[in-house]
Amino acid sequence: MPLYGIPAKDYLDREDELAYLKRLASLRRDTLADNVLLIGPRGIGKTEFLKQLYRSLFWDSKDVVPFYYSFKTAALKSTTFARDYFARFVKQYVAFVKKEPLHVNNMSMPLPRLIPLISTLGLDWLIDCIDDFQQNTDQGDLYGQILSAISTPVNAAVRGGRPVLVMLDDFTASEELHETKRGDAPGLTSLFEESMKNSLCPHIITGSPSAKLEAIFSDPALHKGTERMRLYPLPEDTAYALFSSLLAKMKISFDREAALDIIRRVKGSPLYIRNMARAAWKMKKNNLDKKDFSECYSFEIIDGETAFYWSSVFSESLRDKGIRRTILELLMHRIARGETGDQERLSKVLGVREPRLSEALDALELNDFGGSDDPLLKDFVQSLYFREVEGKTGAEIRKLIEAKYDVPADSSVFEMVIPMSDQAELVAARAVDQIGKNINLEPELMNYLQLALVESCINAMEHSGSYEKKIYLKFTTTPQRLEIAIESPGRHFTLDSLKESPTEEKMTAGQKRGWGFTLMRKIMDEVRVERISDRTRVTLIKNIKRNEVLK
Amino acid sequence: MNAAPFQVKSRIVNDVAVIYPKGYLNNLSGEGLVSECGRYIETGIKKIIVNFSETDLINSIGISLLLHVMEELQTTGGTLCFTDMDKVQLGIFDMLGLTKYFRFFQDEKGALQFLGGSAE
Ligand SMILES: Nc1ncnc2c1ncn2[C@@H]1O[C@H](COP(=O)(O)OP(=O)(O)O)[C@@H](O)[C@H]1O
Ligand SMILES: [Mg+2]
Repeated sequence: MPLYGIPAKDYLDREDELAYLKRLASLRRDTLADNVLLIGPRGIGKTEFLKQLYRSLFWDSKDVVPFYYSFKTAALKSTTFARDYFARFVKQYVAFVKKEPLHVNNMSMPLPRLIPLISTLGLDWLIDCIDDFQQNTDQGDLYGQILSAISTPVNAAVRGGRPVLVMLDDFTASEELHETKRGDAPGLTSLFEESMKNSLCPHIITGSPSAKLEAIFSDPALHKGTERMRLYPLPEDTAYALFSSLLAKMKISFDREAALDIIRRVKGSPLYIRNMARAAWKMKKNNLDKKDFSECYSFEIIDGETAFYWSSVFSESLRDKGIRRTILELLMHRIARGETGDQERLSKVLGVREPRLSEALDALELNDFGGSDDPLLKDFVQSLYFREVEGKTGAEIRKLIEAKYDVPADSSVFEMVIPMSDQAELVAARAVDQIGKNINLEPELMNYLQLALVESCINAMEHSGSYEKKIYLKFTTTPQRLEIAIESPGRHFTLDSLKESPTEEKMTAGQKRGWGFTLMRKIMDEVRVERISDRTRVTLIKNIKRNEVLK
Repeated sequence: MNAAPFQVKSRIVNDVAVIYPKGYLNNLSGEGLVSECGRYIETGIKKIIVNFSETDLINSIGISLLLHVMEELQTTGGTLCFTDMDKVQLGIFDMLGLTKYFRFFQDEKGALQFLGGSAE
């Protein structure tokens, strides 16, 4: 519904892009511009941008007629599509000329009822178009019908003497145009080629995922004559302004620093900013502090609109349920590793065979899931994985997600990766040494901590049946607390499975190994063992007492 | 703790073998220590001192290998003494409840006296 964008005063930060596209028709007429592919990740505001452009042209422009069409809501059975495309165009054209927004969205009104109005507006050629289209429909040629619909904006531009700016949203869905069932008439998208070439009829095309959009436009016929415009995340101050105005509208107050934290986490995505504000409202929060925001966030990821949004994207783009689990595992693997790894190894690590693996990898690429550094998508995937693959409960998942971001303000965090090779654990021990010095730890305690870490690394190496010979370490310190997370791939173990027998028993049984966890537990205040995807994470926690710090 | 690459030096004082593990006592170096002790035991030595003054860090595998040496000595009726351990090293043995299985001395001299050899 092109005229129902958010109010212009609430629309932030895209003035330059809007100004450029408002001039697109005249630039194109002078061959100074091409058609525009509007590129950006999901939720960045592509649809909203088109709506803003539409409204602005609708009210302010005399000679450029805006036409907006979204393939998302379109019927993709080709004959229905053709009628829909045509009818929407006619109505939007009439609405523009008459400056009567009602007609833009009134899909229930049959076209013939508009004919008297069209006639009084002096648009007799449009009546001819309607007749022509009707004839084509009656003759029943599939391609004829679609072409006739698609070429209407061009005809209107030529015969009406006003350029038409065609905005095609969710164009990626046009790939699914079909005759009677999905996939029976591939290539219908290329029918847009002719109309896109016409300089009286500039096109702005967008959709998600970008990779799919780019794939459609890699077709040489469409590739020529398109330029790319990228929509970027909102800058921090704008994002904050948006977030605070949304919350203010709902009369919700909040702590500024905590809000900034969340904004940084969602990386300036207007969709997420809006979702987070709504989550605060749904959870009936007020005076939001860090903890409240953290709860809103985990709610959003697990049960909120963000979860709903990604679930529907997933089920839309990954229709095959079987591949879905493989995709989840692949994604989890990437999230955990931050790398892709070669196919042969992936196949072994995940226990997924070709050609299923290739199929899953292709689906990842095409849907822009793979290279994404969207933290909410990652958290969503993780929570889905926890639920669907590991059978964790909502409460457990919420705790895990909240803990992930629970970093005290006065903390410092170091991460390192060590190989599983002889004495690599000493490198980690050296790191603890310096980290301990930074917070003035008493040297004796530091030596114990080093040993605990060494033991944990050795244990990780012994339990690793993995191809990946690496240990991931993360040190988080505050003046009161040192936490070391040691993650390693390979066989899983739990504290129970590691139950080390008491010394007496060991000595009589002649069994001398297995002191590692006993030491860790004696040295640390807490030792946790968790399974995170295909890694085991051991967390060593030491609360630092006053007498353990050098004066 | 500035763990250096491991070496094992040793010497004989009368009928006592004194071993000086240096650096990081782990699986690799521990094996070295075990075989060094083994060589002495084979020649009939029954008294061994391990002097830790040059050892930086003993990990749990190192500890299990020390237990191994002790067992081997026990079968021949021998004695194992530890000397020059720092507070943390002693603390580790204590944490594992192992102090009662070994004899600890502040320095080599005390251990040699105990074993009836003289301190040079
Ligand atoms: N510049 C902006 N200022 C304020 N809100 C915006 C802005 N851009 C987008 N939004 C809001 O963000 C949400 C997501 O935008 P949308 O256009 O649907 O994203 P896309 O089409 O790229 O997936 C919508 O609710 C929209 O109103
Ligand atoms: Mg959109």
